[in-house]
Amino acid sequence: MRVLVLIAISIVTFKWVLLPVRTDGISMEPTYASGRLNLVNRLAYFSSTPARGDVVAIRLAGLHVLYIKRVIGLPGERLAIVDGEVRVDGRPLLEPYVKHRRPWNLPEVQLGPAEYFVVGDNRGMNAADHTFGRVDAVRIVGRVVF
Amino acid sequence: MARGRVLALAAILLAAGYAWSQWGSEKAAVERRLQAFASDVNAGTSDGRGLEARAELLGSFFTEDVVIDLGRGASEIRGRATVMDMASRLQPRTSAFRLRLTDIGVTLAPGDQTATVVLTAEFLRRGGGDDSIDAREFSLDMIKDAGEWRISRATAVDAFR
Repeated sequence: MRVLVLIAISIVTFKWVLLPVRTDGISMEPTYASGRLNLVNRLAYFSSTPARGDVVAIRLAGLHVLYIKRVIGLPGERLAIVDGEVRVDGRPLLEPYVKHRRPWNLPEVQLGPAEYFVVGDNRGMNAADHTFGRVDAVRIVGRVVF
Repeated sequence: MARGRVLALAAILLAAGYAWSQWGSEKAAVERRLQAFASDVNAGTSDGRGLEARAELLGSFFTEDVVIDLGRGASEIRGRATVMDMASRLQPRTSAFRLRLTDIGVTLAPGDQTATVVLTAEFLRRGGGDDSIDAREFSLDMIKDAGEWRISRATAVDAFR
């Protein structure tokens, strides 16, 4: 009986509360190395919304493949990247987690009322090889806790 | 003890009945058809079948007037013949990657003759001792034609804009 309860608790925990994900790729280096196991807190935004600096998991059609990215733009803001420097509503964004930076450029975009701008920490790679941009709030499934 | 056994047996019968009903549903048929497509894409060409025969097999998963929109500025692919032509030319390269379809969500229209599907297509590349995964979300329109589910439209969905 105890084993069954333990199994049931594990299933609920790792399916609906803490989702285990393995990082694949270098876009979040050096914060998250490729191959590392992380946990996504699916209840993180149950009573709040993603904040700037949060590392979040973004879904495609379901939860089998998730992108791990950092939130740098919030709904309603204007965001641009000029020579590698992120500007939110015209002001430079301080990003201590970015260790390598190439001169990326992105024309200013206006985020909608339910849109976030997300990007990886590894700005040392070519922008063309890096998946980033505006995502709908409904695609954010939780916050990466470690 | 006897009551426990009866309950266990009832649970097993319920689970088996549910599984049987799901297996026979049109939703399951659509999903099986898509998994068969992935399986045929991944099959090698060293089994004695010619490239053209395999291209024809892959073409059978699409309607005559299929439209495939890969987005990101790529031109639309129109027609089963074009798909088969591309499949026959791409065949030798497919052994370098595997296609896996996951998170398949099927919505049937009333009458069970058409369906819309959302799924994640994972492309697992092998080589250099290091595997890599590329994934894209797709939205499909499917039609039941001569007893088989076929893709009439495939549109890539960009999660990041």
